[in-house]
Amino acid sequence: MNKYVTMLKTEIKLSFRGMDMVIFALCLPVVVVVLLGIIYGNQPAFEGASYSFLEQSFGAISTISICAGGVMGLPLVISDYRQKKILKRYKVTPTSPILLLTVQVSIYAIYSLLSLILVYLVGSLFFCVRLPGSVGIFLASYLLVMLSTFSIGMMVGGVAPNMKVASIVASILYFPMLIFSGATLPYEVMPTALQRIADILPLTQGIKLLKATSLGLPIEVAWLPLVVMVALIIICGGIAVRFFKWE
Amino acid sequence: MDETIKVTGLSKSYAGNKVISNIELSIGTGQVFGLLGANGAGKTTTIECILGTRKADAGSVSILGLDSRKDRKQLFEQVGVQFQETGYSDKIKVWELCEETACLYRKAANYEDLLRQFDLWEKRGAFVNELSGGQKQRLFIVLALLPDPKVVFLDELTTGLDTKARRSVWKSLNTLKQKGLTIFLSSHFMDEVEVLCDTIAILKDGNFIFTGTVQEAIHQSPYNNLEEAYLWFTGEEETDDE
Repeated sequence: MNKYVTMLKTEIKLSFRGMDMVIFALCLPVVVVVLLGIIYGNQPAFEGASYSFLEQSFGAISTISICAGGVMGLPLVISDYRQKKILKRYKVTPTSPILLLTVQVSIYAIYSLLSLILVYLVGSLFFCVRLPGSVGIFLASYLLVMLSTFSIGMMVGGVAPNMKVASIVASILYFPMLIFSGATLPYEVMPTALQRIADILPLTQGIKLLKATSLGLPIEVAWLPLVVMVALIIICGGIAVRFFKWE
Repeated sequence: MDETIKVTGLSKSYAGNKVISNIELSIGTGQVFGLLGANGAGKTTTIECILGTRKADAGSVSILGLDSRKDRKQLFEQVGVQFQETGYSDKIKVWELCEETACLYRKAANYEDLLRQFDLWEKRGAFVNELSGGQKQRLFIVLALLPDPKVVFLDELTTGLDTKARRSVWKSLNTLKQKGLTIFLSSHFMDEVEVLCDTIAILKDGNFIFTGTVQEAIHQSPYNNLEEAYLWFTGEEETDDE
């Protein structure tokens, strides 16, 4: 069997045994969509809006899993595998540790996509969520937000000297992002002052992009988020590649 | 006799401290070579520089005619390695670790046979974490043998094994040796070295203070067994008397 497939199969099993990602990337987003659905029902996003509050929140909720995988899962697994010298073991095989990292990135991408599908199914089946935006453009934006968030995780995992530092940095990034970027607590209900602070977080920008593309809003609103996402990929990805430590 | 491992002028220092200097080594095909030395003498650094996981400051290494850094992919199809600490995930089972490692090689040995051979077949469904020290050590030897290698590096071969397990590992290695496997091992156990090794080298403060056969080592010393001879060479034999 192809080595990528064999490793993917094994590493997915290991990840499922860990349960963290099942809870934080698969269950949590569904819980949030159900809660918002129950609280807001079919209320419009604002007076005279053509879309409901929940529809507006869809883009945000879909990033909870990206956030969990990219900022929590990925850096922890990378620093764990380095600390346990698993990456080093791959250096004395015909493949390189890059294969193992590629497999890990694939796993978190799979979690994100599964979560996206779950959130959409729950939203559309139980709360009449209808998204007028183009599926293709939305998915492209989703991929972009995923890549930029994952590049933050690669940077933290690649540069952190040990598991402890990685887990502290991951927590510092994860919890504010989860709560203040609008992924769980809707941006629209935040007071203006808090919105200003939220705007600094890169995921907030990503979520704006996803909201615009899911609702089919004009793309001019999206240039700033686009720039932020691409800049993140270049800066964090660059640092990760340049300063990555195998041991 | 063909030369399988050839090391010339290998040196490495960390932060200005020379850990190994000017190591010369030649190991023939099908030979078992034992690297001896106290903890901190530079054994692991020597092995890592030979394998290319650390970059040597100077010197050249050839294994099976290949360079361990430049021809890494080609080389490690034919070379198995057991590090002193072998890394594995917390939640991985024995057969999964074997399967995941085997898939990396173009022509891997059958891990089920190896697990049987090393008395681990009953444990194939267990978590690696739950194995005893000796079982883990045997599993790591199995992993090193998975590529069906021509050369195998075993760092601290039987540390943590009980007497019976050690003997069974020796027996398996002797069988592999008869099939032409070249073995590079490091060990603290002189009985094991006497049973397995054709040639040995004793490392002290980063230099070889002896290279040759076990018999030559004993003859050069005033003693009649390898353990005493080893302590004599390393200058550690009198510490107990003082």
